Amino acid sequence: MTKKDFRKLFNNRIVLLDGGMGTLLQEAGMPGGVCPEKWSSQNRDLVIDIQKSYIEAGSDIIYTPTFGANPIKLTEYALSGEAFELNRILAETSCYIASGATSRPAGKKVLVAGDISSCGNLLEPFGSVGFEEAVENVKAQARGLLAGGVDLFVIETIMDLQEARAALIAIKELCDLPVMVTMTYEGNRTLMGSDPVSALVTLQSLGADAVGCNCSGGPAEMVDLIRQMKPYAKVPLIAKPNAGKPRLENGRTVFDMDPESFASYAEALVEAGSNALGGCCGTTPEYIKKLKEAVTGLKPVKHERKPYSLVCSNRRTVEIHETLPFAVIGERLNPTGKKALKEALVNRDMDYVSDLAREQVEAGAVLLDVNAGVPGINEKETLASMVMAVCNAVDTPILVDTSNAEALEQALRIYPGRAVVNSVSGEKEKIEKILPLAQKYGAMFVLLPVDDNGVPETAEERIEIIKDVYKKAKKLGFTREDILVDGLVMTIASKPESAVETLKVISWCKKRFRANTTIGLSNVSFGLPSREQINSSFLSMAIACGLTTAILNPNNRQIMQNVKACDALAARDKSALAYIGLFSDQAGNPDKPAQPLPKGPKSIYEAVINGDAASAAELARQVLITGKPPRLIMDDELIPAIKKVGELYEDKKYFLPQLIKGAEAMEKAMEVILPELEKDSGNTGMNKGTIVIATVRGDVHDIGKNIVAMLLRNYGFNVIDLGKDVEASRIIDAAKANNADIIALSALMTTTMNQMPKVMSVMKEEGLTCDMMVGGAAVDSRFAGSFGAHYANDAYKAVKLAERLINQSKTGVDL
Amino acid sequence: MHEIKVMKNLKPAYDKNLIYARLGYDKTRTGLPPHVHEEAERLIKKAENTLSLVGAYRIMDIAETSPPRVVLEDGTILSGIKLAELMKGCSQALIMLATGGGKIMELIGRLQEEGRMSEAVVIDAAASEITDSVLDMVMLHVSQLLRSKGKILTQRRFSPGYGDFDILQQKELYRLMDGEAFGISMNEACMLLPEKSVLAIAGISGI
Repeated sequence: MTKKDFRKLFNNRIVLLDGGMGTLLQEAGMPGGVCPEKWSSQNRDLVIDIQKSYIEAGSDIIYTPTFGANPIKLTEYALSGEAFELNRILAETSCYIASGATSRPAGKKVLVAGDISSCGNLLEPFGSVGFEEAVENVKAQARGLLAGGVDLFVIETIMDLQEARAALIAIKELCDLPVMVTMTYEGNRTLMGSDPVSALVTLQSLGADAVGCNCSGGPAEMVDLIRQMKPYAKVPLIAKPNAGKPRLENGRTVFDMDPESFASYAEALVEAGSNALGGCCGTTPEYIKKLKEAVTGLKPVKHERKPYSLVCSNRRTVEIHETLPFAVIGERLNPTGKKALKEALVNRDMDYVSDLAREQVEAGAVLLDVNAGVPGINEKETLASMVMAVCNAVDTPILVDTSNAEALEQALRIYPGRAVVNSVSGEKEKIEKILPLAQKYGAMFVLLPVDDNGVPETAEERIEIIKDVYKKAKKLGFTREDILVDGLVMTIASKPESAVETLKVISWCKKRFRANTTIGLSNVSFGLPSREQINSSFLSMAIACGLTTAILNPNNRQIMQNVKACDALAARDKSALAYIGLFSDQAGNPDKPAQPLPKGPKSIYEAVINGDAASAAELARQVLITGKPPRLIMDDELIPAIKKVGELYEDKKYFLPQLIKGAEAMEKAMEVILPELEKDSGNTGMNKGTIVIATVRGDVHDIGKNIVAMLLRNYGFNVIDLGKDVEASRIIDAAKANNADIIALSALMTTTMNQMPKVMSVMKEEGLTCDMMVGGAAVDSRFAGSFGAHYANDAYKAVKLAERLINQSKTGVDL
Repeated sequence: MHEIKVMKNLKPAYDKNLIYARLGYDKTRTGLPPHVHEEAERLIKKAENTLSLVGAYRIMDIAETSPPRVVLEDGTILSGIKLAELMKGCSQALIMLATGGGKIMELIGRLQEEGRMSEAVVIDAAASEITDSVLDMVMLHVSQLLRSKGKILTQRRFSPGYGDFDILQQKELYRLMDGEAFGISMNEACMLLPEKSVLAIAGISGI
């Protein structure tokens, strides 16, 4: 069947697929633990009966029972060598039934879809299966299905978009039959994090003839998934849900939805945008029959698809449009003029690449240009590594920037999304080699108005090239939305009129050609002083002419301020929120948009409450200068402040980081105050008692203990911190040497908490009479009490407990 | 016994609310000024970027379940009343491992040494939660693979050290999952290192 004929199937009707097969095979007697496909091939009469039932129930397309019949999956049963034959036989069986379906109206052929699913193992970088291995795995299966006579293919129940891509590429490289692809979602994303729009855009661009979802949850969950996809769908959408949720009943897995309930969602699924419906796990011919009844008379939703320019990674889709915020393309992953990046690429230091990707994204880049053009390296391998490093580091889609066709193909082949090819020009070689690659892998492309005659100086010449390239691209199926026209920026240092010509091209693209545009911004100022000023001004002018994207340095504050200002001025930033956010950072990293900090604290007390360590120290210095005695500063401000912080934490008005920040601020102020206190009286008054603290032997968790130690110091205790994994004898020795009032122990595990009674035992043997307090996840008050220790379940309570114990020790009274 | 399957470079979905809850945040009482919230979000992101998340699993047949014992196909005996309850009716066990790698602990240690405890504590909480989410991902993945075979996974999983599933049984799971191959060591107290590592077990039932 041709792709055109496949498309016609969906004219004015809802196509019915089939339902589940596995459960029916089990009910027909398939024993547990066998290879379903092998068993099916040996019991074809039972398969025939099941598939006949689906046809009679109303299925327009039946799937071959070859779900797991790929070589990798068949390895589980030592049957990988039989992949071709199993697929051929089972496809033949399905085609036999379909062709002989006499109960169908004349002319209404039942189609057979060769069913392909996951190999069962994850692909790189998540698992061990290489991309090409996955492609070959599907080809091995698909060859058998083709030999068996299938009309089309379906790739289903896929959790990883990359595996779906591998399968789709495999089939495309074998034949021109239509391919349907359905992914499995858990909630709103696949297991590997793809949202439905990114999956749709990637797959339909790559050539899938229908896209959708199967398995997942029940029909209710699928309605929203379809609804999300519909506005962007260029192909029919499929919904093939389970019969609700699975549960165990008498040792068997059953699903909780009956056929009527299942079919009751048909209308909602059609309204959401489904063009084809079916059933997955738990469904039977009865479910399909009810579905058929439910869709009788229903027509697919008429959908006026707006033209969209969409680029995506496997986890995020970015739309480029003149009404949306300006799309910044980060330029810093291009080694031209960047010594450190060049070195990193030579040394294959992909951590450096990942860090650069993150920095740009955090600064506001929504796309990243990736270029591996360093002389003397293997560009194909390096570019592929860069692409995967960026994919692993960030969700941001990419531009693949190379004129090396081999490197480009490899990068596009493995990129798990829809990329932009940077670039295609009017040069013959580019048209012949680069453009077809963009088409093969479903990419957008940057159209560079240059041809074999060189770089045109005038806008008119550039426009002619743009028209010519577009004409050729149209023949390969591209539309305007698939293009970013590069205005072609030259330095005004050597060509003063060049900026104006670029602006003319941009303006023409906006008003006449109606395509998105881009520029390599920094080119305009090459060779000039104060480049930032020229770049910034040119950017504003270009945006005013209609520029929608630019390749620039997102970590340049002035440029990004400019971008945000332009968005606000062009009403692309509602209420100028992004612009305000960029400028509200008073004290922190100026390159990072931040929430407004609270106004500077007016007192040391306020600084400690706010956890503002820098202000606490500075205000302490200022107050000392005024002559206020340090003892008064302690008593009037610091001690009340840290007490207040503790109370706020106890009341849950503060959470742990705020408690600690208060303590840190106190510490910083104390660093300023303490020397003056010592000068004054030789007595800091900051010794309520001495506490030896440690994590017990065998236990290496220490962050909780460290927090307790920090707070105890801030509240005026002398703390001897012995660290973690500390022997009992060392704890006792430290307690003796320092005349400790309290021993504080931490243990996180049941295997280590038993050290605590041991320490107590040694304490008593050595005649120590100090108190012991204990804490940690494994410990509770009952355990502590069993050997005479006291228990605190968090850091602040540890402070209060210590104060109580010290007070009791001094006064003999337990408050 | 199935071989160990490995999942790398993972970016699990996780619930940020649980990270905040670990830090004592109470949505009805804790006031979170915007700059504090933003700092916490930045640190959570930093934890995410520093973790090197790996998950792994293997499926083993259950030879016998007689509470409190669960006996695996190779004779390994696991014991716990709650564990045996969880595995009731299950024909197979899913044994899982997750680790966040060593870099995250280096970061937490360094921040503490630099006196940046407030940052360390957020990153520590985030790292624990995100690493735990890897097990959610493993279970979802296996659940999907099992669905086509008509099998289902228990909703819950158990880790040694919780309830009456003694921490000492960490040794058995560590051995079965070949923890050393994942850069995980276990000390005499059955503590896994690096600290952001976890072992767990769930049950598989159905035909």
